[in-house]
Amino acid sequence: MSSVKDSVVMNLPRRDARDKLQGRTKYTVDVGGVEVLHAALLRAEVASARIKRVDISAALAMPGVQAIVSASDAPGLHGMGVADHPIFAANTVRYHGEPIAAIAADTLAQARAAAAAIVVEYDRLPAVLTMADALASDAPLVHPEWRDYEILFDGGVRGGNVAWQATVVRGDTDAAFARDDVTIVEGVYQVGRQNHVPFEPRAVTATYEDGRYHIHTSTQAPWTVKHVTARVLGVPESAVHVTVPAVGGGFGLKFDCSLEPYAAILARKTGRTVSQVNSRKEEMMTCLCRENADIRIRSAVTQDGEIVGREATVLMDCGAYGGEQVFLTTMTAHTLGGNYKLGSVRLCTKAVYTNTPPNGAFRACNGVYNTFALERHTDEICAAIDMDPIAFRHRNVVGDGDIGATGQVFQGNVLAPMLDQLTAKYPVKRRSGTLPDGRLYGRATTVGTWFIFVGPSAATVNLNADGSATLVTAGVEIGSGTMMQSLPQIVAANLGIHPDKVIVKTADTDAAGRDLGVGGGRTTVSIGAASEAACAQVREKLLGVAAELLQTSADKLVLSGGRVEIRGRPGSGTTIEKIVQQAEVSIGPLSGSGAFTAPGERSMPGCAAGHFIDAIDIPVFAVHDCEVAVDPVTGHVEILSYRLVQDVGLALNPRAIHGQIQGGVVQGIGYALSEEITIDANGAFDQTGFETYRLPLAGDVVQIEFDLYEGAPSIGPLGTKGAGEVPILNVAAAIGCAVTNATGKSVTTLPMTPPRIAALLDGRTCLPEMDHIDPHWLANLL
Amino acid sequence: MNTANTDDLFLRPVSVEAALAALGDQAVLVAGGTWVMRAPLRGESIDRVFVSLSGIAHMHAISHDTEFLRLGALVTHDGLGACTRNLPEMGALMQAATMSANPAIRSTATLGGNICAVGFPAADLVPALIALDARFEVQTQTGPETVNVATYLQSGAYRGGKEILTTILIPRQTGRSAHARALLRKAGEYPVANVSAFIGLNADNVIETVRIAVGALEATPKRWHGLETALKGLPFSTAAAEKAHDHLDEFAPRDSTDAPGWYRLRVLPGLVGQAFATIADHMLEGA
Amino acid sequence: MPVTFTLNGQQRQFSGDPRASLLDALRRDFRLTGTKDVCGEGFCGACLVYIDGVPKVSCLLPIGALEGSKVTTIEGVGARETLTPVQQAFEDFDVVQCGMCFPGMVLTVTHFLQTNPRPSRDDVKSALVGNICRCTGYERIIDAVMSLHNSAEGPE
Repeated sequence: MSSVKDSVVMNLPRRDARDKLQGRTKYTVDVGGVEVLHAALLRAEVASARIKRVDISAALAMPGVQAIVSASDAPGLHGMGVADHPIFAANTVRYHGEPIAAIAADTLAQARAAAAAIVVEYDRLPAVLTMADALASDAPLVHPEWRDYEILFDGGVRGGNVAWQATVVRGDTDAAFARDDVTIVEGVYQVGRQNHVPFEPRAVTATYEDGRYHIHTSTQAPWTVKHVTARVLGVPESAVHVTVPAVGGGFGLKFDCSLEPYAAILARKTGRTVSQVNSRKEEMMTCLCRENADIRIRSAVTQDGEIVGREATVLMDCGAYGGEQVFLTTMTAHTLGGNYKLGSVRLCTKAVYTNTPPNGAFRACNGVYNTFALERHTDEICAAIDMDPIAFRHRNVVGDGDIGATGQVFQGNVLAPMLDQLTAKYPVKRRSGTLPDGRLYGRATTVGTWFIFVGPSAATVNLNADGSATLVTAGVEIGSGTMMQSLPQIVAANLGIHPDKVIVKTADTDAAGRDLGVGGGRTTVSIGAASEAACAQVREKLLGVAAELLQTSADKLVLSGGRVEIRGRPGSGTTIEKIVQQAEVSIGPLSGSGAFTAPGERSMPGCAAGHFIDAIDIPVFAVHDCEVAVDPVTGHVEILSYRLVQDVGLALNPRAIHGQIQGGVVQGIGYALSEEITIDANGAFDQTGFETYRLPLAGDVVQIEFDLYEGAPSIGPLGTKGAGEVPILNVAAAIGCAVTNATGKSVTTLPMTPPRIAALLDGRTCLPEMDHIDPHWLANLL
Repeated sequence: MNTANTDDLFLRPVSVEAALAALGDQAVLVAGGTWVMRAPLRGESIDRVFVSLSGIAHMHAISHDTEFLRLGALVTHDGLGACTRNLPEMGALMQAATMSANPAIRSTATLGGNICAVGFPAADLVPALIALDARFEVQTQTGPETVNVATYLQSGAYRGGKEILTTILIPRQTGRSAHARALLRKAGEYPVANVSAFIGLNADNVIETVRIAVGALEATPKRWHGLETALKGLPFSTAAAEKAHDHLDEFAPRDSTDAPGWYRLRVLPGLVGQAFATIADHMLEGA
Repeated sequence: MPVTFTLNGQQRQFSGDPRASLLDALRRDFRLTGTKDVCGEGFCGACLVYIDGVPKVSCLLPIGALEGSKVTTIEGVGARETLTPVQQAFEDFDVVQCGMCFPGMVLTVTHFLQTNPRPSRDDVKSALVGNICRCTGYERIIDAVMSLHNSAEGPE
């Protein structure tokens, strides 16, 4: 296979760039025309209420209105782990922005006018808008009926406003903290939400044809859309057909089903094509954000820097419905519980219901803020025991044979050599100081652990008469380039053809097998592995036919340059076209199918409870280093340099990885410095558009300097790991630690906006209020 | 108001008088359009008659003589940046016009629109106009009037829709001015606070004339009289800006989603310092 | 009376509500969907078009004000079968990701280079402050712009 590895690496350009640059690409939002109806949602404008009455009669009579649907049209509940989520509020409103009815009309303006004409009467109920409120002993319950919900995954502890609790217990932390030779360091951290802001908002077009729903949608997970739509509509999954064109950005937001069921119902009711697109304001105000989180962490460390005990409690705000956060409670074990060798560890992670818009998945979900908390805490430890922060990390990062929080055994020394690589190239001269212009200088180096989320994927490969191949999967091109670059490169290398000769079918659940979706860095790995398996079948058939034709044995044949050759005798063989032609008369057209799923890395039995997975199949590591200048006059943080080493396994397309690193780090810079969401007394986001939600602009970013670390163990095809997810992982951590070093004041909250840093400098800031997490770890358990 | 006759919905008068005649309760004046078109995002109805001023030729005009720089209200930020470049005392206006918003907005948004945007506290041009002691020519139902910038702002921008701001007159004067703005990012957004300062010196380098205007702190930009009084008669230096710390109590800064009031106040002395540093640079160049 | 204007070189008329934004008219009525509807506030630049050769955000332009104007959208840039030098540089540097911001980016950069043929990196950044990209982190886009031989710092 070494020839495959040699031929797979290249800077293949993107085949979709041209149309995107010329404005020709048709995204879901671009579907339209006079034959299309437009849908709008009536959304609740209260955070918590009982619905007394909904009157649609006036709205139905308005011009252009074709159909209005509501809770009785979609009775099913969906969710992750727990089925707690209806697509329409029936009797109860649980968050500001929750859909109550959907309208289809001839024009969007008519649909919106009709939505405004629907009369809703509420009985307001008290709302819990923060996790502190939700966990108070007398808190009203967001889901008083939580006991009645169907459990979709066993093992989580639930109760009251806690949607899910996951725990890790390994070793005796009580004994560790009681040792007389340890220093105990404790910290609390609080982070806000982050909005993905994909430039294409969530959008869908639906039709109802021959008794089936055809959903053409902007999603990362077509099979999830198929499953959830069927479930909430109460129809068989086979009745839902999902196709996906180019997606205008996802970043995790589109890993869940969203608008698709509404458009599907309206398409059936009207018999027409229905287009539904979130307005930017809706998109901002109901974004399934990276969740806000509250974190308390405590460690017992010896004077020479051994971490003998660590305890942490992480509260993740899931908003009004459990959603992704239920699943994501699992991740703390591998993010906050990652990076370092721990003598003993206890972790508790809770997804907490509040009367706020539901949260969701976002690039390196859970990892970004847990890495911030962990790395800030690590620097606090170094200060407390007076140890160099890089020396401390070098001593403690997991290496070959070390065990992680849940007892899984790691293979290979990866983080330590990555740290060496970074510090050798960029030696640390100082970590704090004052610049000639009066600004405060800070530098910090952080480590991070993420993992590739594997799970089921399927692929079919057809070898065509012209020597091209068609790859059929449910993979989606969301912008990262995986479907345009990694996958055709993998298929091409396996079949000895050029990637330009690999046709990649856009996602279609009627054509491709089940797939978990594009997210968690899994596409190259999971769909890539399934594609390799499909190629293996094609190769076997191809070489069999060729062996017969060339009067040799299959094991003497190699595929290269669109030809089959006898090994060592270039020019001896024939073209793939000829073999395909021959195959048509001997065994039929050449095709193969392949599949992949999580192999299931082993953990230590009994360590983890309520986890969806106990160990991680493909760990990914990152080392980030950042220099900042903090302006004491304004509190503004400028990034002076940003450098990193990223573990990529094998870099299939180094230039494309460059793009992912630059883009991912900048999203992390936004999260760290400017992107802030606050929630008003009515439970609504204050940031409703681009004026108030501050994305990084061209002037706010720097060129990221990076090195790729190759060769770490990976079960991915050809040793690959996903490279697009992880660049964001320790950005807030690195900047937070650097700002702390610059200012001499402990950064404990995100984002580090100029007002917040000014407050820190002025001593206006207190530690985040964290009374709702008990310092005694056990007291936090349900 | 979805009438079949769309001609009634969008009027393009070619004279100020005709525009004034078209103004009724249901009408809204449209200059560049960048503020009006966002009305729905502010929760305001856009279902009003648009009276577009762009067909009124003299409202685009720019001229200057020894007495005044005369700017039609429809001069864009780009136009303003270009015409003030070589007028030494107009630095504040040049900076305000060229630093605000982003290139595509600067080519569209107008001087008059910036002044008349109802409910927009963070205009950049307005403090510059205050610092430069601008006057406004306004066409009212009874004829043209000239009002001082401060008087105009006090009476409520674009008074009740019954009149049209046509021309901005800025007196030519001896001195230098500068504009500084505090942002949360590097560029491309509304300021959380801004300062325009005009300084005129006598032969001994003593501050003879000083006008300092502050925007974005409160609902409407205003002069910083206490600081002006403190500075008058002092030798000019960038260090003089330190006096700003002593006069912060003149403001009742607003809290909003982008920044708390205390922060707006906190950055104010730094902005005065920046403006003074720019003025000092210009004076060196001029010397 | 309909609004009459030139759209990508052809005379067109618009008979709907003249208060509609040019953006809505382009996407809904003329079905030119290369102009993207993203923020609706003039911050992101995804809906950028040229009006008489000047880049403007179409979300904030009432179409009634465009009587007699020349409107050029991304579909009207360059020859249809080939890429312009700016588009070619973006393709060559592999800077395109989701692609939604690129029609506006192409128009901004093209116009900017016409008036600033030898820009510094900071000049390019200032020019791009009204074109937001959520995917790329900008710097690769700037690398591509700087690679065009007319830049002050030369090709990289």
